[in-house]
This record gives sequence, structure tokens and C-alpha cells, in this order.
Amino acid sequence: MIEKITAYRFERLDETLSQLNREDCAIIAGGTDVMVLHKSRRGVPPKIPKPIVFINHLSELKQVYQHHKDLHIGACCTYSELLENPLIPFALKNAIKTIAAPAIRNRGTLGGNICNASPAGDMLPLLYVYNAKLLLRSVNGDRMVAISDFIQGPRQVQRFHNEMVTEIILPFVLGDSHVVFEKVGNRNADTIAKVSFAGFVRISKDRIDDIRFAFGAVGPTMVRSIDIEKKLIGKTIPLADADIAEIVAAFDKIIRPIDDQRSTAAYRKTVALHLLRYFLSMKQYQPN
Amino acid sequence: MNLKDISTSVPKKDHKGKVSGQLPYISDVKVENMVYGVLYRSPIAYGKIISIQLPNLPDGYEAVGAEHIPGPNYVKIIKEDQPIFANEWVNYIGEPILMLTGKDLDILYSLLNEVKVEFEEHQAIYTLDEAIKQKSVSLVLASYEFGESLENISAIEQGAHQIIEEEYDTGYQEHVYLEPQGMLAVYKDDEIVVQGSMQCLYYIKNALLSALACGDDEVRVVQSPTGGGFGGKEDYPSMMACHVAVAARAVKKSVMLVFDRSEDMLVTTKRHPAKLKYRTALDKEGNILSMYVDIFLDGGANVGLSSVVLQRALLNSAGVYKIPHFHAKGYVLKTNTVPNGAFRGFGAPQSFAGIESHIGHLSKLAKIDPLAYKRKYLVKQGDPTITKGKFRDPILVEEMIEDVLNVSEYKKKKEDFQRLNQQNQRYKKGIGTSLFLHGCGFTGSGERDHIKAKVKLVKSKDDQVSLKISNSDMGQGILTTLCKIVAKELNLPFEDILYPYPDTKEVPDSGPTVASRTTMIVGKLLERAAKKLKNQWQTGVEQEVVEHYVHREMIPWDEKTFTGDAYPAYSWGVNIVEVEVDTLTGNLKLEKVYGNYEVGKVIDERIMKGQIDGGLAQGLAYGYLEKMTSKQGRIQQKSISDYGPPTSLDIVSIESKVFDNPYADGPYGAKGAGELTLIGGAPAVQAAIEDALHTSFQQIPITPEVIIESLWMKEGEEG
Ligand SMILES: Cc1cc2nc3c(=O)[nH]c(=O)nc-3n(C[C@H](O)[C@H](O)[C@H](O)COP(=O)(O)OP(=O)(O)OC[C@H]3O[C@@H](n4cnc5c(N)ncnc54)[C@H](O)[C@@H]3O)c2cc1C
Repeated sequence: MIEKITAYRFERLDETLSQLNREDCAIIAGGTDVMVLHKSRRGVPPKIPKPIVFINHLSELKQVYQHHKDLHIGACCTYSELLENPLIPFALKNAIKTIAAPAIRNRGTLGGNICNASPAGDMLPLLYVYNAKLLLRSVNGDRMVAISDFIQGPRQVQRFHNEMVTEIILPFVLGDSHVVFEKVGNRNADTIAKVSFAGFVRISKDRIDDIRFAFGAVGPTMVRSIDIEKKLIGKTIPLADADIAEIVAAFDKIIRPIDDQRSTAAYRKTVALHLLRYFLSMKQYQPN
Repeated sequence: MNLKDISTSVPKKDHKGKVSGQLPYISDVKVENMVYGVLYRSPIAYGKIISIQLPNLPDGYEAVGAEHIPGPNYVKIIKEDQPIFANEWVNYIGEPILMLTGKDLDILYSLLNEVKVEFEEHQAIYTLDEAIKQKSVSLVLASYEFGESLENISAIEQGAHQIIEEEYDTGYQEHVYLEPQGMLAVYKDDEIVVQGSMQCLYYIKNALLSALACGDDEVRVVQSPTGGGFGGKEDYPSMMACHVAVAARAVKKSVMLVFDRSEDMLVTTKRHPAKLKYRTALDKEGNILSMYVDIFLDGGANVGLSSVVLQRALLNSAGVYKIPHFHAKGYVLKTNTVPNGAFRGFGAPQSFAGIESHIGHLSKLAKIDPLAYKRKYLVKQGDPTITKGKFRDPILVEEMIEDVLNVSEYKKKKEDFQRLNQQNQRYKKGIGTSLFLHGCGFTGSGERDHIKAKVKLVKSKDDQVSLKISNSDMGQGILTTLCKIVAKELNLPFEDILYPYPDTKEVPDSGPTVASRTTMIVGKLLERAAKKLKNQWQTGVEQEVVEHYVHREMIPWDEKTFTGDAYPAYSWGVNIVEVEVDTLTGNLKLEKVYGNYEVGKVIDERIMKGQIDGGLAQGLAYGYLEKMTSKQGRIQQKSISDYGPPTSLDIVSIESKVFDNPYADGPYGAKGAGELTLIGGAPAVQAAIEDALHTSFQQIPITPEVIIESLWMKEGEEG
């Protein structure tokens, strides 16, 4: 039984967008999420219910450049490409190195990780603390959305079917900032995060100018709280034990992970808070 | 062959085919008039089948079930308790009830969804703990007891300074052979040829003779290239072979049954989860006066090979130690879960994890370094075994320990780590050891009474010699090592010795490829056959020689009293493992792994290194990484990433050495090596974690979840 599928592969982005405007399609960038999602049992090809549009060859989606000091990353840059690019921040590269293994990193894209919106997507915690914005384009024009507004829940994003994510924008950060990412998986490669943590802090003269945290794999989307972050602005480093305890307690209330085949809710929560406390307890922060 | 030393490596016979990707595995095979089979499996853990309702089957699609089995409806292994197609009771989720066959898998999968089976559900037993609590005789699938009388033990306990009781749990382990299970029955009018991924051709042939109730020349079993077995292809393929052969008979077509990874992980056999209980009497100085061990194995839904696994677990229950006044008892209990079966080590890994843990904990009580404490009890040549057998051959473990202590700088590291750990709040380093052995070959008189191995060498007119044996190369390298033995004996080029994939029509029964027996037992028979052939050699003439197993009489094994020599020989090992534990996440980093082994004589260095590295990776992972759980009778991890076997980023390079200690009844002195290398991994990793954290653990795998919980409890105790 041979099933017919329709697949499009246009030379240019505008043609691709016109097609998306005509027809609701399944976008495939690297395909490393799509193919797994639609996998059939052995011996049967994956079943993708819509026509397919391939986009990962489009040169418009593979640029990395600075504009007004903001960093623009093309949605279809693969992880391997980003690892080689001098403009990409170290923290992001370190996170990329925790993703999958080289073969998948040769295909998987940053845009794909975002649009797949997995609670365990490993690029997401950092993109949240970088306050990343997404450029969405359709035949009607462009719009910009904050990543935290774009991602609504597991595999749910705020995208119209005629739109495509074209760029990920990391806004310029003033001064020296210290950024960390920690991924906790069951092994060191090809693993799905059980918990992940991203921390961002900018200090001037021992005072906290800006501080941000995001937790992955402990809720339907990344857990971030601007209200909690605000409590630390202006505090001096090293933080007092009482301040640290207050922040940890505040996150303790909003982190509500689940038990599954990969770990337990108790473990996820404990470790998330450990990583937060560790970040907050640092005596000094090296800019990176 | 002109190697000075048989140990010198040669290119593996199957190297090119594997590296080039050209070697066809069973799922690559297509034959004329072939259909696929898919299995309808029980969705419930325990119950009675009331009715089966099939959908309308399109042309060319058929259903095959118990009613199509010409012989009795069980898979012949040891006991007759495993149905080929369950038709009255189902005992676990995933138990096969019927097969649908047809050309198109897509159609078969949708038909499968339309099969309706009505059950009367009964209360299932899901865990070993529940089964132990029930204390019901009907759940005991096998049991043995042996050792010093209980009166003596309790008299000693009464006079003891202290009695230490510990309970230790080990989890499932999944084989994760690279190639999932697959079997094809090729239908012919007068013969069914079953081919596939397998370790034991004649187990399968015997199962087929029973299921098909047919004559010896009506079935034939052929091994296809086998991508890993680890015991997983010892017992399980017999069931699949029955499925495809019965179906082929019924539908008069060739039938292919291949699992994908998730089906394989959900329904095939695993390593038995175990509970081990220790009760040890100590004197004032912490010396052991007596020890009583209870072992419980979770057999899953039927006994399969579990009784034999239990035997090996019991035979290893005292580890490598001479324990004064020892008594042990063991049970296999039934649960309504996937049947557990053979897995590299065969009961020994559970026992060694348990005893090494227990002895390690006793050393802490005695305030003696664990390794020093262990060495006090190490068995020596001439000592009796716990079953009143004897360690006859020289034992090199002391030398192996001394060597690895030097190489690893054990003492210095212990001190360094103490200091480093005080400075580093987050990361803690630790170092741990394990001492272990493995009995080579079948337990007791199995080789003599059950296997009765027979090998054949056939020489063609052009003087090429072929090995005719029923053993499988599953990646472990016997295509190469056994040919080397014959080549060297005949002084012929290695390339002139052929070892075609075995076919029961061509090869005698040289026994299954299990129990670390192939090199030692089959290799020895081949060595003798080659000698014989050399003596009769006539250039340009077809010749054939046959050799039969000869039993060396020792202290006869008696399974009832569990006494005598359980094994003809033992291989030995020492591991040292260094770890770093992240106390924030519980994650573990292996930093260094050392292994010293004694396997008689190495037949090929590179192949031995493959066994060491692979065995250790699997054994280490059993201790801290690989985690499989079952919930309400359902296996929770059905993908490799969820289960988490180690990647190249998890394992560090392994520094190993193999000591020569030739064994008279092995070819060139070789003993078994395949299982040994797995056994020391888990206990050494546990000891290293305990050293890093100054905590005791009572289970493997020691996952990050377990570590975090224990650190949290410790924090609670301390303040
Ligand atoms: C073996 C394996 C290991 C993995 N390991 C990890 C890991 O460690 N960490 C991790 O985070 N992920 C992991 N993944 C998941 C996956 O590789 C990543 O999420 C990857 O970034 C997806 O990118 P892609 O280009 O392949 O996405 P695709 O599969 O092509 O697309 C994913 C989704 O995004 C949509 N999409 C893609 N691009 C766009 C766009 N420009 N505009 C609009 N919609 C778009 C698609 O329609 C689809 O819904 C792994 C996957 C595999 C198979």
C-alpha cells in the first residue's frame, strides 16, 4: 500500500510563504522532532497528516548577524553550524553541546527546538533568560513575539499556519553578564532533560543590576518569574542567606514537576532548587 | 597459522561485512511468498480469556492461534509452563495470544487494533515484594537450600558479639542488543527452515520439534548474523521461532516476525530483579563468624530458565570469599510481569552486587579499608567452595590486586580524595573496588548429562577446513577465535579455516552459546578435533572428524543436596573505579576504571579487550545508570533514551590487563571470559559512590534520584 504525500521544497522564502498562505502545511526544518512525532510501528513510514514544506535549505533562514548590537540567528541554523559561529555566546554553545549527539546536531535547528515547544527543549531555558524574541513572517508581513509569549504549552505555540519563524533575536545585554546553563539528564549524551536550569546575572559594583532564571522540564513550559527576580535587584553580592532562602522558597511554590518514566517529581524539584541555590550562593560571578 | 602466540590479534572474520554495512541481518532478508506476522498481546496482567473476536480479514490475511499448533501448546525450555499462544489464561501484559499474518504491515497493525478479546480479570501480583509478602507456595517457581546446618548457625549467632542484617535490592536490566529480535520461517512443502537472530540453535530446534510434532528432518534452524545477544537471545528466540513456524505451517507461506525497539523492550526477557538478605554474625573485632543468605528472584510470569539462574545466584552468594559457617537459600517467585531470563552473568551479577556491598559495609563496622577486609577472606587454591567442591587451580587474585593497586595509585588517591572533598562542596570523589569470579561452563554436570557436546571438522578436496558446530557468533568474536584455534593446531592460514553461519542440517549439537562455555568447552573439542585431523591429514581428500565432550571427574555435583563441584574452572577479576558525584544533582561521572582479569589464556587480545570494555560498560551501567521499572505490570521505559544505556561520553577509557594462568581443559589454556567482565562493574561503582559520599546504599542501580534522596535524608539527620 503506497500512500501519496505532497511535499514542497521551494528555492526561496517568499515562495514558501505563499504556499503556506494557500494551504495548511507541516513545516519540516531538520525533521528531528517531526519524524519522531509521526513515527509508525516498524516497517511503516511515518504518517504526517498534512502536506509537507521543507525549509532547512532556505539561505534566508540560515544567517547569523548583529544588528543594532542585537544578535539575529536564522531559524534554520543547525546546532553544528551554531557551534562553529563566532557570534554565538559561549553559554548557548555549551547548551548546544548537551543536545543529542553529532548526527542529530547536524540536522536539528534552533527554530525547530522552539516551535516544537517541548517542556524539555534544551535551548529554551537560555532563550528565556536572554529575553529572546522571535521574528515571525508571513505573506502579510513580519511580527515580533517574546519567546515566553510564543510558547503556550507542550507543542503549543502562538503561530498562524501561514507564518514561519525566520529569526531568533537575542537582545543586546549591557555590560558584563554571567550566564550558566545546567542540564540534568540520565546520561551524558542523547538524553532528554529531567531538569534544566539557566541563570543570568549582571553585576555592577557588587550590586545586582539584572538577574533572571528559567527552569526546564519541571512544568508544561519553562518556569520563569519576573516578580521573584525583581526582589534581588540592587542587592549586594554575596547574597545574604535570608535572601537566598526567600528566593528558593518562592520558586518552591511555583515549581510543580511530575513523575514519569524518566524521573520523579521530588527529584526534579529538589534538583531545580539545588541548582538555583548554588547559583545564588556564588561568591563572585565571572563575566562570560 | 604462524602466530607465535595465539593471543596476537587478527582481523575479525566478520569485520568487513559489518564495517561496510553489507552483512544482511534477518530484517534485511526477503524471500518469495513471504508475509509478515504481528502479535496480538494481552493488555492485562492476569486473567482468563473468555472470547476472541477477530475482525473481517481481507484476502491474504489470516489469524493463527493456539488451535494451529500441531504439538502441545508450550515453548519447550525446561518446564512446560510457557504457552506459545495463550488461549486460557494470560499471565502478563504483552503475552502473545494470536498472530495475524499478511503482506502489508500497515494493514496488519490496523487489523490488530480491531481484534477484540474479552477477559475475566484476576488480581495480579506486580512486584517481587508483593510476591514475598504473600508467602504462598503456589508462587514459588523454584527453590534451593544448602550449607551448614541452621542449628550450627544459630548456635554461632547466639555467641556472637553482634549480628548484622541487611536487605539489598537489584533492578531489572535490559539487554539492549543492537539488533532487536527477529525470526523468519521459510515455508517449504517438506520442511520449515527457521532463521534469525539467536544464540542456541538446538534449543530452538527442540522447541520446534515439540511444537510442530514433526520429524527431525522436517525442521531446520539456521542462524543469521546476530547483532548482540547478551543472553537475550538464549531463551526468547525459541518462542518467536514457534510463532513463525506454527504460522508458516498454518498459512503455507513464509512468515517474518521482527520487533522494533519498543516492542522488544516491552515484552522480551530481562535480568531478574532480586532481593538479597544477609544475616551475619561478627565477633568484637568485626570478624565474620557466620553468614546466612536469602535470595529472592522475580521470575516474572513463568519459570523459563529462572531455576538455573537461581542456581548460579546461589553458587555465587559468598562471592570470592571463604566464609566460615555459611548457609544460603533461594527462591524464584512468580509475578504477573514479563518473564525474566538469561542475561550475561546469569544470576551472578545480582549476587556479587549484594555480597560485595555487604562485605564492604562490614568492613566499615570493623573500621578496616574495604579491600583489606575483603583480602582477609579471599579464597585460596585448595580451599573448598561453598558447595563442598574445591578450588583446584592456582588463584592469582592477590597478584592481580597488588598490580591494580599500584597502577591505580589506590592508597594515594584515597587520601587525595579525602582532602579534595573537604575543599569542594559540590563535587565529591570516591574510589571503590570489587573482587569477583565466574564459574565457566554449565553448572554441575550439565555438560555431561544435558549438553553432550559434539563438534565436527570437515575438510574439502582443496584442503579448506570448515567448523561444523552449533554455536553463534553474536558479536563476541567466536567466528574468529575458534577459527584461530583450529588454524594454529593445523598450522594452516587463518583464511583457510571457514566457519559458515550454522545450520542444524549441517552441524551437530555442540551446545548453546551461553554460560561462558564456548571458547573453553567447544574450543577445546575443536582443538582436539584439529589434532586428530592433523594426524589423519591427506592432501586433496575430503575428510571429516568428530569429537565428543569428555567429562573430567571431580567431586560429583548433586543438584538435590546442592553439593559438589559446581564448575570445572573459574575465571577471576578485580575492578577499581573512581567516580565524582555531583551532590546537587546526584549525577555521577566515571573518572577512571581499571580491570585485571584472569581467564586462563587469551585467544585474541583485541576480542578480549572488546569483552572487557563492553562487559564493564554494561556492568557499570547496571550499578548506576540503566534503570527499568514496571508499573502495574507494564514496563515503563520503551526507548533507549528513557532506559539510558551508557554512551561514549559516559564511559571512560578502561585500563585493563589480563593475567595468564593456563587451564588444562581449555584450548591453549583458555577459560570463559564473556560474562566475567560484567560482574565487577556494579559493585565497584557502588563502593566508589559510598566512598565519595560516606553513605551506605542498599540497592542498585544507584541513580541520581537515589543519591539525592539519601543525601537529603542524611542532611535531615545531621540537622
Ligand atoms: C535522537 C534525538 C535526540 C534529541 N536530543 C535532544 C536534546 O538533547 N535536547 C533537545 O532539546 N532536543 C533534542 N531532540 C529534539 C530535536 O532534535 C530538537 O528539538 C531540534 O532542535 C528540532 O529541530 P528540527 O529542525 O529537527 O525540527 P523539526 O522536526 O523540523 O520541527 C519541529 C517543529 O517545529 C516546526 N518548525 C520547525 N522550524 C520552524 C520554523 N522555522 N517556523 C515554524 N515552525 C517551524 C515544525 O513544523 C515542527 O512542528 C532530539 C531528537 C532526537 C531524534
